[in-house]
Amino acid sequence: MARLLLVRFGLVAVTLFVISFAIFVVTMVLPGDVATQILGQGATPDNVAAVRHQLGLDQPWPLRYVEWVGGAVHGDLGDSLVQRRPISEIIGRRIGNSIMLASFTFLVAIPAAVAVGIWAGVKRNSLGDRAASMLSLAAISLPEFVTGVLLIMIFSTTLGWLPSSSIVEAGTSPLTRPQIMVLPALTLTGVMFAYIMRMTRANVIEVLDTNYVRSAVLKGLPMRRVLWRHVLPNAMLPTISVIMLNTGWLLGGLIIVENVFSYPGLGRLLLTSIQTRDTPLLQALALLIAATYAGANLIADLAYAWLNPRVRFA
Amino acid sequence: MTITPGPPPIRHRPAQESVEQTRDGVDTEPPLLEVKDLAVTFRTPRGTVWAVRHASFTLRRGEVLGLVGESGCGKSTVAFATIGYLPGTAEVRGTIKYEGRDLMSLSPAELRAVRGSRVAMVYQDPGSALNPTMRVGDQVEEVLNTHCAAQGQAATDRVRELFTSVGLPNPGRIGRRYPHELSGGQQQRVVIAMALACEPDLLLMDEPTTGLDVTTEATILDLVTELKDRVNAGIIFVSHNLGVIARVADRVAVMYAGQIVEEAPVREIFTDPSHPYTAGLLSCVPAPPNASGEVPLLRSIPGSVYPASEPTVPACLFTDRCTIVQDVCHLEPPPEVTAEATGHPVRCFFPDQVDRTIWGAAEARTPRPRTGDAPLLDVEGLHQYYGKLRKKYGLFGPTVSRPVRANVDVSFQVGRSRTLGIVGESGSGKSTTARSVAGLEERTAGEVILDGEPLAPAVAARNAAERAKVRMVFQNPASSLNPALPVGHALVRSIRKARGVGKDEARAIAARLLESVGLDAGYLDRRPRELSGGEQQRVALATAFAADPALVIADEAVSALDVSVQAQVLNLIAKRQREEGTAFMFISHDLGVVRYLSDDILVLYAGHVVESGPAKAVLRPPWSPYTEALLSAAPVPDPDAELTRIRLEGAVPGLQRPFAGCPFAGRCPRYLGDLCDNVPPPMQQDPSTPGHQILCHIPLEELTVEQRKTFAEA
Amino acid sequence: MATTVLGSNRRGLVESVFGAVRDIGARVLRELRYALATPSGRIGLPLVALHLTLALVGPLLAPFPATDFHLADRFAGPSATYWLGTDEFGRDIFSRVMSGATSIITISLAGTALGIVLGTSIGLTSGYLGGKVDEVIMRVMDGLMSFPSLLLALLVLTTLGPSHLNIILTIGVVFTPSVARVMRSATLTVKTMEFVQSARLRGESATYIIFREVLPNTMPVLTVEASVRLSYAILLASSIGFLGLGVQPPSPDWGLMISEGRSHITDSPLIVLAPSFAVASLVIGVNLLAEGLREARELPEGEQTE
Repeated sequence: MARLLLVRFGLVAVTLFVISFAIFVVTMVLPGDVATQILGQGATPDNVAAVRHQLGLDQPWPLRYVEWVGGAVHGDLGDSLVQRRPISEIIGRRIGNSIMLASFTFLVAIPAAVAVGIWAGVKRNSLGDRAASMLSLAAISLPEFVTGVLLIMIFSTTLGWLPSSSIVEAGTSPLTRPQIMVLPALTLTGVMFAYIMRMTRANVIEVLDTNYVRSAVLKGLPMRRVLWRHVLPNAMLPTISVIMLNTGWLLGGLIIVENVFSYPGLGRLLLTSIQTRDTPLLQALALLIAATYAGANLIADLAYAWLNPRVRFA
Repeated sequence: MTITPGPPPIRHRPAQESVEQTRDGVDTEPPLLEVKDLAVTFRTPRGTVWAVRHASFTLRRGEVLGLVGESGCGKSTVAFATIGYLPGTAEVRGTIKYEGRDLMSLSPAELRAVRGSRVAMVYQDPGSALNPTMRVGDQVEEVLNTHCAAQGQAATDRVRELFTSVGLPNPGRIGRRYPHELSGGQQQRVVIAMALACEPDLLLMDEPTTGLDVTTEATILDLVTELKDRVNAGIIFVSHNLGVIARVADRVAVMYAGQIVEEAPVREIFTDPSHPYTAGLLSCVPAPPNASGEVPLLRSIPGSVYPASEPTVPACLFTDRCTIVQDVCHLEPPPEVTAEATGHPVRCFFPDQVDRTIWGAAEARTPRPRTGDAPLLDVEGLHQYYGKLRKKYGLFGPTVSRPVRANVDVSFQVGRSRTLGIVGESGSGKSTTARSVAGLEERTAGEVILDGEPLAPAVAARNAAERAKVRMVFQNPASSLNPALPVGHALVRSIRKARGVGKDEARAIAARLLESVGLDAGYLDRRPRELSGGEQQRVALATAFAADPALVIADEAVSALDVSVQAQVLNLIAKRQREEGTAFMFISHDLGVVRYLSDDILVLYAGHVVESGPAKAVLRPPWSPYTEALLSAAPVPDPDAELTRIRLEGAVPGLQRPFAGCPFAGRCPRYLGDLCDNVPPPMQQDPSTPGHQILCHIPLEELTVEQRKTFAEA
Repeated sequence: MATTVLGSNRRGLVESVFGAVRDIGARVLRELRYALATPSGRIGLPLVALHLTLALVGPLLAPFPATDFHLADRFAGPSATYWLGTDEFGRDIFSRVMSGATSIITISLAGTALGIVLGTSIGLTSGYLGGKVDEVIMRVMDGLMSFPSLLLALLVLTTLGPSHLNIILTIGVVFTPSVARVMRSATLTVKTMEFVQSARLRGESATYIIFREVLPNTMPVLTVEASVRLSYAILLASSIGFLGLGVQPPSPDWGLMISEGRSHITDSPLIVLAPSFAVASLVIGVNLLAEGLREARELPEGEQTE
């Protein structure tokens, strides 16, 4: 088990390095030049060169990579080319917002989805199960932006209950106007709920067909005990891995949803950085998102290994 | 400490009394279980399955009823029906009365109260029958908590008692382990302990030893026979293995195509069968050699088992295969009568015509003596190690895992046109040997010389001529043929590659090959899933023969087949050897089959050769102590056979470290002490039979004397 | 007639690949037929077929060219002329939806096909060859998979620029690792089957074994995976369109239409509703088809990674 931990950590570290390198290289190749953007189309080559020098863009790229990575490890991600402020500051203010949105989804969607999934799996092919299956199929078939826009149409435009966009004054937290968080959270939750529910249901069904559940039933154990001690622990093992892996999806969904609602989070920031060719910011955000995903995968692996006696007591 | 049983109260009767009652034939006690006219049909979207067409029997306390039959005969379904565990698609007719109450009319709550406490079950694959995320002790305690109102320390103590009674080592501590940490035999003992926890009246055992090593199986069967005397329960023991049934059962019910065709006390079933199918089964099963060391010829039952997917027709379902079939058998279903000669119920029109010889008189199979020819295959010093040495931190630190030494210094020869039987249990390395010789895995060290030419370790490195000389047949018929392609595809390709002929000529040759294994040419275009297991295996044989090989390696080729079909394949192998002179390497864990077919035998244990030589010599003393234990453990289809009681404790040792002394030292019943642990034993040559050698420290004369004594005492 | 392991004689290789392609076509059709027998498939397949037809003939059957302005009739409601009304530039919504089908379906299908072909080749080879090769390939795949797919797609598209071809390439590259994973796992299962061992004993080349023996047996898994990937591809493509990084205006891309239509919801909700319905129905159809394929072969609902 200890060896497993070491190997996994090592792998993640290597992966992160490779990711950072890849991001760096990709953004290097971005067409469009920041300096030109800042100065405008009519800038003279000299001025452009001067700005580039000022921004450190004329140094050889391996050097820039090493500087960047060195800084990143210390938490210094450089300065935004467009906003002329430390990136860590920019991100720092927004990261909390995204985390709030993601947490809501995680904390609400997942337990609910797992519960419904278990119920659907146990009551396989009943009316309720079929209804849940159909609804969840519809939910995963809608792209997040469609769901978001439809929710806006229903709750904002028609009913007027909730605001259609989540813009707040710069520097204030969305918590001051909690109603702007409702629709984005609902959108994100919807699809995540559907995925996790279907996955849980499938796992429960698979476990219900095993020989050891048969043994438990034939021992005359009450159904509740069979469920709690025999079905759930075994069905949850693969589910937990999937939940963690779905974080990747969640991160993608975050990007879209924040853009649909103009929510002041990292997703919105990412798109802005793409549109403005703000390379350092883009790099930093990409790295952060990828690192989060890698971290989630690591936690999934470790959780599975710890919970599965076959791996833990190998 | 007392345990308060849950409702209904257990009626304790001293075990002796009821057994004596049965012996006297006086029937003062009502039967424990009465099954009448049971029929179970599954209506699935893919079609109807008639799993059980008709079954009636009774069971008394203290008695073991053996339910024997081949795959699809419905025996397991009967067991599951008794405990009420059938899928929703099942239609059940008839009655199952347990102590007078109809089990099928119980409410779910009543059924739950009965299961685990009054009626308990033991399953075929113990590893999958235990919850992998729960400690084994807890899994047994659950039963006590639910049914016997035992909690906490009282329950834990009872669990320890149970574990002791089923022979588990460290009964106080083993409860803390998880199932994957136990061996197969230990897992099954846990399942048995679970079943016995609340002293049930009725115990259902569904193939409990199938899938376990022979030596482990023997210990579990010992346990079952001991339980029979100790626990006052009625036991239904389901198995397809006649030898196992002969050991444990008091009465036997033979099932065919969902019907019980005969029921009788165990001795009579084996000596005086009244149904053609029973007689046929007995003729199909390899029997031990008689007093003069001759092995009876195997007769096979033609055709295959009447499928459960075919509806019940108003005729005898055995007619297509029966050897004494007459007109009336096609027109009416045979009634259940009592055979005049024997007095037991049988479902046949002509039970009195049946005896053990109706499928052919017993003939001896003549073994062939050794010739002085050079051997076809010579394997010297074969070593096969898997995996690498891994340390904790890459190149440093303590060792985490070592290579598995699957074959260590294995040497043997296969004579031209002879059959070498390779026998061993799990971990013996027999499959590894086969794969190394065939080139499917690259050997770590050693020489493989075929026809005087050394063979490259990897099959891809050999030339076409060399490849054509060695072919293989595998255990699982279904995956031996590509399900996505017609059956003839591999056959035709094999012929073309080996003989370089055109497509049409290859097809003609293929058709002839199929005919030689008893299948008509039309099979060439069929898909594997349309064939039965036996037919698939015959195609696999034909495909192996297609290249006209000098050596065919059969790796557990009959282990997955029904008994009646096994005999067909075994006879095909024998026929091929007679007619074409093909040599065979026949690998099996089933000693009976190896005994039947082999001219020479090789015995493997933990990757080492422990004995080898001509079959006749290996099968009589002197034996290596391991061979002795194997022979002692193998179930024999003869209820009167008193096997010597040599039992092995523990399990096959790990294969990761080299053995300082004898690999069998840890379990050997003739263990001498430090010598066996620390000094590698010599390979002693048997002076009385050239070519016979045994790996052991004990001098052969001493072994011979000792073993003859034990044999005689039995 | 000695053959070596990797790469047989040239004719053998060509023979193997052609045979495999013919074979695969026939098998895919068979899987689809099986799927039709299930309730999910019975709805899903026709729905998908409908959209495919739309993709092919949509622009031809549309009453108006999708980019034509009718400034006099801006924000018109549904009428006999404009079946679903018009948008902020007076363009006929119905025509735009019908024309938009082509781009999104082409992109999704092509991207999925690319991902499947690449992923299958990599997965099959890696799974069959095993050993060091397998380890290295899988590490690389894992590396690629450590990016959330939307992020990866955004990065690549920003670099390469938004054209149809680039989106197809992006989708293909993003999906390759997951497909490779699934196919490798299926290969590992098939590899242990004895008929593969028999083929090795016969001296068949690795190419032959992979394409003629192993691949046909992975078809059930492959078709399910392909349909699941297709649904993800459509979601990804439309999301990219929504974010404005895909096909550029004035092309009638459904995602783009929804994005642009957001500001005009009060004027004409159909600008948003029509393409939403189109996307939703397409994805539901594909998902139902995937369900049908899975049910027909009784495959378990395995891990759905991104």
